[in-house]
Amino acid sequence: MVKKPVKITRAAPAKRQAPSRAQQAPSRAQTAKTAVAAPKGAARPAVIVVGADKGGVGKTTIARAILDFLSLNDIHARAFDTETPRGTLHRFHPDHTMIVDLTEPADQMKIIDTLNSSQAKVSVIDVRAGGLSPALQALDEIGFFDAVKGGEFRFILLHVIGPSISSLEEIAEIAPYVAEANYFMVKNHVNDTTFFEWDPQTHAKYFEDVVTSGEITIPKLSELAYEQVELCGAPFSTFVANQDAQGRAAEHSFVLRGYVRTWLARVADEFERVGLLELLDEKRR
Amino acid sequence: MMRRTLVFFVCSPHSKTGVTTAARLLTDYYLSRNVRVDGFDTASREPLYALFFPERTRVVDLDEVKGQISLFDRLLVADERPKIVDVWHRSYERLFATIAEIGFLEEARRLCVEPIVLFQTDVTESAANSALVLKTTWPDLTMSVIHNRGASPLGRNALTILARYPTSGKFVIPRLEAPMARALDDVDLSLSRFVSEPPPGMSLVVRAALKAWLLPIFTQFQSFELRLELQSSEFLR
Repeated sequence: MVKKPVKITRAAPAKRQAPSRAQQAPSRAQTAKTAVAAPKGAARPAVIVVGADKGGVGKTTIARAILDFLSLNDIHARAFDTETPRGTLHRFHPDHTMIVDLTEPADQMKIIDTLNSSQAKVSVIDVRAGGLSPALQALDEIGFFDAVKGGEFRFILLHVIGPSISSLEEIAEIAPYVAEANYFMVKNHVNDTTFFEWDPQTHAKYFEDVVTSGEITIPKLSELAYEQVELCGAPFSTFVANQDAQGRAAEHSFVLRGYVRTWLARVADEFERVGLLELLDEKRR
Repeated sequence: MMRRTLVFFVCSPHSKTGVTTAARLLTDYYLSRNVRVDGFDTASREPLYALFFPERTRVVDLDEVKGQISLFDRLLVADERPKIVDVWHRSYERLFATIAEIGFLEEARRLCVEPIVLFQTDVTESAANSALVLKTTWPDLTMSVIHNRGASPLGRNALTILARYPTSGKFVIPRLEAPMARALDDVDLSLSRFVSEPPPGMSLVVRAALKAWLLPIFTQFQSFELRLELQSSEFLR
């Protein structure tokens, strides 16, 4: 097993120890120094982190679906792709996506310090496989979670889980960081993954330290349709509109566009069901 | 008047109701009038309809997305060429589920393609219920029933049974005596050519009986087609 930079076992610090004042002060000070404060009355910027420590669970697909969902709801968003140096999310949304290394202070500044000043009030971070725990740790170290607790930002975590028990173990690892988050567990069926029903006791054991805001189920999409969108290299909504990645008229199969349109609508229904729009846009509450 | 491209789904959820016969008759009706037609046979394992029109018919497997593309992408081409789909009873559910999933009917309307369901009747209640489900799901869908008195007779309660179907139009395919019906099984027998040039080797009795059977059916298709054209006329609305 690959040793992660910081291994937080379930037994020890699952309940995150409150940082001492001495520890707390620098991070808050750092946040205060670097982040440009939002004007009074303005909507609080939101950060959506899409991640999982396990690979191949469809994190980027979820991030792409989120970006389409936000765009279709007229919510201006930007995205950060941590899959360096060549980001998959960046390939599909090049105009709104920046490739970053979340462990690098310069890139952390590009995200966190611009949350208030950016026109985009929602920042989606697609965390590469195995990078979720380090990413959350990095955000913790720079005082991001303190700022969330202080009401400066909103933080939504979409934790894409796989069908194995190792996904439940991930929950324990990230538990210390999600106290202030709207934490959603995402079951991704897009690639026909089947999830077994966990034994309630096992399930409860892993969730005792985490309060979830809901569970999002991403339905299956026809493999051929998914593959064609991949080849097109454009957002799902662009494919549905029968355009290519440059926005020119394309000749995609109507059947495949129909499948993608229906799938996208179902995904949007899921996001709406769990109240994602209300979380992101306080006016809608 | 805007010309529409007609797309016929000849269907039944049950086997041996005469779906292929109806699809064949409709195809031959258009061919007899020198109208080019595209046919689709969804019985991928035993494509009988395709045997009658090998050069005009595609065999599609609706369980495969590639088969669905081969069918629906072609059906949406608004080229004014009628398209006829012989819906195998085992493909029935899949066909309409796919239509719903991909939003075919909405796109068809947008492209001036007119989908028409020709629903084959039988004595079962479930068949009428299936037709009702289609009409409830898509109230604007043009739907007519075909009552094949030979393949799927409705008996004495024909009127009561037909009243269960939520359709406005009805076609009747009369029963054909066994010797004449056997002549129909010949895949080389073109009913469109038969009208003008009956095969010289065919019995005079069979020829006369077939003609007497065929012409009223073609007349029904013609009046249906005319009715559709009149309905689409802007000046008659």
